[in-house]
Amino acid sequence: MRLVVALSVAAALAVFLLYTSLAGGSTPSVQPSQLAGQSGVVSLGGRVVGSSTGDARAAGGMRFTVRDPKGTATVPVVYRGTVPDQFKTGREVYVTGTLRDGVFVAEKDSMVTRCPSKYSAKS
Amino acid sequence: MPLLGRAALILAFGLVVYAAVAGSYGAWRRRRLVVESARNALCGAFGVALVASLVLLAALARHDFRFTYVADHTSRELPLRYTLSAFWGGQEGSLLLWFLVLTGAASGAIALNRRLTTDVLPWTAPILGGLASFFAFLLVAVSSPFATQPAPVDGAGLNPSLQNPYMLAHPPMLYLGYVGLSIPFAFAMAALASSRNDERWLVATRRWTLAAWTFLGVAILLGAKWAYEEVGWGGWYAWDPVENAALMPWLVATAYLHSVMIQEKKNMLRVWNAVLVALAFGLSLFGTFLTRSGVINSIHSFTQSPLGSWFLGFIAVVAAGSTALILVRLPVLRSRTRLESLVSREAAFLYNNLFLVAFALTVLWGVVYPLVSEAVRGVAVTVGAPYYDFFGIAFGLPLVILMGIGPVVAWRRASLRSVGRTLLLPGGVAVVAGAALVLAGAGSSPVGLVGYTFAAFVLAAIVVEFIRGTRARRALGEPSWPRALASLVSRNRRRYGGYIVHAAIVLLLVGAIGIGAFSTTREVRLQRGETVTVDGYTLAYVGSTAERVANAKELRAHLQVTRNGDDLGTIAAGKNRYPAEGESSNEVGIRTDLLRAEDLFVIADRFDRGGSVFIKVIVNPLVNLIWLAGIVFLFGSVVAMWPDAREQARLARRFGEPEALAPA
Amino acid sequence: MTTLALVLAAVLAVACVVLVARPFLRDIRGAEDLREPTGPERERTRLAEERDRALAALKELEFDHRTGKISDADYHAEVGELRSAAAEALRALDEQQGRRPGPVRSSRTRV
Repeated sequence: MRLVVALSVAAALAVFLLYTSLAGGSTPSVQPSQLAGQSGVVSLGGRVVGSSTGDARAAGGMRFTVRDPKGTATVPVVYRGTVPDQFKTGREVYVTGTLRDGVFVAEKDSMVTRCPSKYSAKS
Repeated sequence: MPLLGRAALILAFGLVVYAAVAGSYGAWRRRRLVVESARNALCGAFGVALVASLVLLAALARHDFRFTYVADHTSRELPLRYTLSAFWGGQEGSLLLWFLVLTGAASGAIALNRRLTTDVLPWTAPILGGLASFFAFLLVAVSSPFATQPAPVDGAGLNPSLQNPYMLAHPPMLYLGYVGLSIPFAFAMAALASSRNDERWLVATRRWTLAAWTFLGVAILLGAKWAYEEVGWGGWYAWDPVENAALMPWLVATAYLHSVMIQEKKNMLRVWNAVLVALAFGLSLFGTFLTRSGVINSIHSFTQSPLGSWFLGFIAVVAAGSTALILVRLPVLRSRTRLESLVSREAAFLYNNLFLVAFALTVLWGVVYPLVSEAVRGVAVTVGAPYYDFFGIAFGLPLVILMGIGPVVAWRRASLRSVGRTLLLPGGVAVVAGAALVLAGAGSSPVGLVGYTFAAFVLAAIVVEFIRGTRARRALGEPSWPRALASLVSRNRRRYGGYIVHAAIVLLLVGAIGIGAFSTTREVRLQRGETVTVDGYTLAYVGSTAERVANAKELRAHLQVTRNGDDLGTIAAGKNRYPAEGESSNEVGIRTDLLRAEDLFVIADRFDRGGSVFIKVIVNPLVNLIWLAGIVFLFGSVVAMWPDAREQARLARRFGEPEALAPA
Repeated sequence: MTTLALVLAAVLAVACVVLVARPFLRDIRGAEDLREPTGPERERTRLAEERDRALAALKELEFDHRTGKISDADYHAEVGELRSAAAEALRALDEQQGRRPGPVRSSRTRV
């Protein structure tokens, strides 16, 4: 009897988990080269190249360019909100937002950089 | 000196391999002398690991940049404590720490249980030796801390956000926790291997499990405090895979600690416990793998470091081995006792287990899904906080309720009526608290309100437990209330230590809800003299300073804080720039109001040339209950772990042997 | 520096070998090999555990009753069952020990 209870709970859980992970709660994470087909909100990840202009706290936002970590495709990004300390040219960043007219418009405060890797000398 | 380090590691590798191989032979063929020799080899490995560690520490202290490791993780300007803590700050060093703690714990556990591990569980030493062999192999062949290079002028320095007191304590605590779980695992597997049906291994490893679980819990909270103060986004737990890596084994270990009580008292759930202890240890290996291999950034970065594949292989071997052992011994393990009623303490513990394990698996899925998705479908996804929050609440709230109900339900079969009667008072308290909270404005977050009500219920139930017990002891003749309470706890350390830990979890919940559901945020740009008001606090921007300290330049904005006209002092927030590492770090200003347990949290985001500063002000109510919970948790665990002479005597009698199996 | 390191490493190696060889050097003839517990011994341990479990359950029932978590009625309903279970366990153990008297040694608890 106990086994039946446990199994049915586990089964219900499994179904739930599959549903939520596939349907909601996860956003596709893409690189600049993969942006083309995407409509809707995605998490864009890539390396910051060139210099950044503007002020993330001002109305115009901060503008910078993001490139594929291992490729050449780039996309300009406009971002408003908090900029993590780790942000600088050459670093990998992730912003959530949508592509509009060739420019990736990021959601406010959505920029993250990965936790500093303790285990490599300089990441 | 690197030569000594390398030699020590090779010796260590030889010793643990010997312990694994010879120990297996000795256990298989029942050769006592061989088993003892294998045991000695493990102790020797610890001694040698100590030598290697000292070599590394000395190199760090001396700024010996010939050691690649020292050059990569320290610099001349780095304060001594961070230089020394760089021992575990990098990959190779942290592997050495793992190995050191593993051999240390193995030697300790075996030395304290000499007869048990030789006569009854001879497989303990070879299993621990096998686990240690993996790490020794990595240290010798893949990732050595003793690689050398022509010495550069100065080292690369330590990532500035890691230069924080919490980061001094967090990794060692974490490893004590992770590695500590290997002891019950090894003993459990050794018991299966020897086909021993008795509870000796359970009793012998109980305190080890409790200690490991405590270290893990404290480590998680230290990590959270670090994230709160150092990463400083205003929150305390981000459901980052690195954080989850430690949470998962802790959740399963919690389940194990509970179900083990059922096995002791009712001889049930034996198979389940074997699975749980293997799962807990497996998850701690997995957690180590996650934070080490870089796999969480992308499945592609995983292949860049060979360490990742080794770890994965090792985890697979451990998982396969333990599964095989459990399956083979299934007929012996299976208990004949059945669950009698769905309303009983056994059932309550079972529900507790189901929720805890389900939550742990949910977290695991959240961590693993992005990797699976990328590997299988080629589409990378990120799993965000909403997923974890949802399940955290869905599983967490029932668990909280169980903490209140469990201790009150009778064994075997309980009548709902007597449960209801006993819980009437705490239930009433909860309703009153809920009403009061609604009046205080907590209705803004219904989930938060529900959580608070449950918390009030459980806290009241725990207080009632203490009162009831103390009253009973008074009735037995204790002269005073304090004496009665002391003797009550002293005679029932596990029970009342456990209640204290439950209270700590409730405190944690209350704090987490406070900061999660009831915090207020405002972002504003201030010129000198301008003010902003957030949730009763008024902050006036006074000015900014730039100051040079040991290895950094500190930029700070200073704000005057008042509340209802009372001067509460100044708060400073800003950034540190580290020239050696070329990094900058966010330094938040936190003003803690101990009475209200709330924090005024200020992030100075941008310093403009015009003299204005862009700040984010957050008020986090009750957040300090989270840290208080950590202290209460530690206290409760210590009470539960405290050696009990009466219990020792009883166990000595049980096994009818001249020496008790200690420490139980 | 390297010579010192080499010497220390050599010393360490010797120490390790000695440590590992010690059991063999110390006692070649005297040590009996590990033996599996006999059937009666396993039975004795099992019965001892059952006795302890029964006694602990009884103790816990008393505790729950004294602290008011179990009503008098429920207590009286349970206590008879538990008492006889404990008595049965004690009896079985005594019987088993009567059949197989173990060596009497002084009790020393290790902390």
